[in-house]
Amino acid sequence: MSIQVEHLYKQFRVHVRQAGWTGAVRSLFKREIRTVEAVRDISFTIPSGEIVAFLGPNGAGKTTTIKMLAGLLYPSSGSIQVAGYVPFEQKAEFKKIMSLVMGQKSQLIWDIPPMETFLVNKAIYEIEDRAFRQTLDELVELLELEELLTKPTRSLSLGQRMKCELAAALLHRPKVLFLDEPTIGLDVHTQEKVRRFIGQYNREHRTTVLLTSHYMGDVTALCDRVLIINHGKLLYDGELDMLTEKLTPYKLLEVQLSSIPDISWDAYGELVDAKEGKVTLRVPRERIHEVSSRFLQLFDVRDLNIEDPPMEEVITLAFQEDAHVS
Amino acid sequence: MKRHWRIFCEFFRTCLVEELEYRSEFLGNFLSSLFGIGMAILTIQVFFYQTDNLGGWKYADVLLLLGIFNTLQGLIDFALRPNMSRLLQHIRMGTFDYVLTKPVDSMFYVSFRHLVFWRLIDVLLGIGLIIYALIQKHYMPTIMDAVMFFISIGSSLVLIYALWMMLMTTSFWVIRIDDLSFVFNSFFETTRFPIGMYRGWLRIVLTYILPAAFITSTPALSLLGKWNGMTTILSVVLAGLFLWISRRFWRYALRSYTSASS
Repeated sequence: MSIQVEHLYKQFRVHVRQAGWTGAVRSLFKREIRTVEAVRDISFTIPSGEIVAFLGPNGAGKTTTIKMLAGLLYPSSGSIQVAGYVPFEQKAEFKKIMSLVMGQKSQLIWDIPPMETFLVNKAIYEIEDRAFRQTLDELVELLELEELLTKPTRSLSLGQRMKCELAAALLHRPKVLFLDEPTIGLDVHTQEKVRRFIGQYNREHRTTVLLTSHYMGDVTALCDRVLIINHGKLLYDGELDMLTEKLTPYKLLEVQLSSIPDISWDAYGELVDAKEGKVTLRVPRERIHEVSSRFLQLFDVRDLNIEDPPMEEVITLAFQEDAHVS
Repeated sequence: MKRHWRIFCEFFRTCLVEELEYRSEFLGNFLSSLFGIGMAILTIQVFFYQTDNLGGWKYADVLLLLGIFNTLQGLIDFALRPNMSRLLQHIRMGTFDYVLTKPVDSMFYVSFRHLVFWRLIDVLLGIGLIIYALIQKHYMPTIMDAVMFFISIGSSLVLIYALWMMLMTTSFWVIRIDDLSFVFNSFFETTRFPIGMYRGWLRIVLTYILPAAFITSTPALSLLGKWNGMTTILSVVLAGLFLWISRRFWRYALRSYTSASS
């Protein structure tokens, strides 16, 4: 097991401050302290080499959990093991086998080319010249960095910078990689590239990857398994496909007809859309075969398509508090 | 130690590259350093128009003290000062997280990551002034003087580092104060003059509580052959003690950082 988390809790004590003058003055004399439970009883394990997505709305506790896994935060209670180490002991050996990339925060030196940051990391991680050269060549090829290496970081685009961030984080060949929103703010094309890189890197090096993202594309492209968290609680741990089945007991049936007959569709399913000869129905999973064959018999069908509901919809459902998915 | 030295060299190299990226105004900096030391010498000369000794120190002695002061100040501006604002920024922006994920001592990293190499001009000027003062005085330090000097200047470097680090560590809590280094300056400026110049409680504070006396006066006296074994040992002990306290304080600050969110 590469990552093992048991009954993890994290509480923060925060000052509650009222807005405005009176609130500011009052907080000088009397501080109201409230305890916020950021993570409540989370347990999971991730075998080495697996790539798992961590999903949840803003403030769900994803980043707090990742920070605890990387040893940046001390858990209030519970236990964590990452590759056999206890992260918050902050041992140098542990830091050498893991890496953290935060999409919102940069580790590259702003005014000079990324190559200089790479060299600093080479010294810090004590990477041998040969190993460094080899890893760098590989990363340059995979991420297409050739021309970026010598340009000052400040002149790079967000996407180019993100690719360099990934390279900087992977130079010491970590066994465990934490990615906190690696594709945030990137255009669709670059997202796709970064995604493909992460997938390929994971396959080739058997690196354990835990990633958080707001983009479903990242998740569907990279991970079979997802962890869904909301209000600090783990709501779901399992395969992405299973989640879809559990939460959305229907499929989308799209039928292209020569003309739309003026009938009630209730006998087939719930009507979503009907225009320009295309009818979209929400049909319960167990009826999908029956409904589609009836369509083929009764209507002049030009094209028929069965789809799962969009992932965003599934996740929105999962985030709803009463969803009993686990 | 060797590893940290290698990392330090790497920091130095990147900072050099960074500096050259802006084609730093080498000449401008050189002139301002020269002007700074010139003004300091002038001030001392003004003092000595009135008197021929300052707290028991002769003109050339004070010049030597000033040389040591300038050297130390150059080193502070070279390695410590540039890092203060960066640490504040790291903590405020949350990029301090990256520092903590690196397999290197975090206190070492935040104190030496950023270097402003042209400040070494001050160090060179300071050393020049020390040599000039010795020539003025026609005094050739013995080997023992030199040994005592190097021990006590080593202690003052450690002392300065420890005091600076303690101040810097407070940035975990007072992240709104943008220039904590101002506080340090006010203290460090007191070491520009012989400790004998200060009277009463100020002298006691500057000797025993904030050991300014050991920072410039002890090394200067050593080089002039007026060393005292006990004082030198005391300076080493104090330096060790302060370093230990600063380290404990840093650890304590880290613990409270890592138990809170950022």
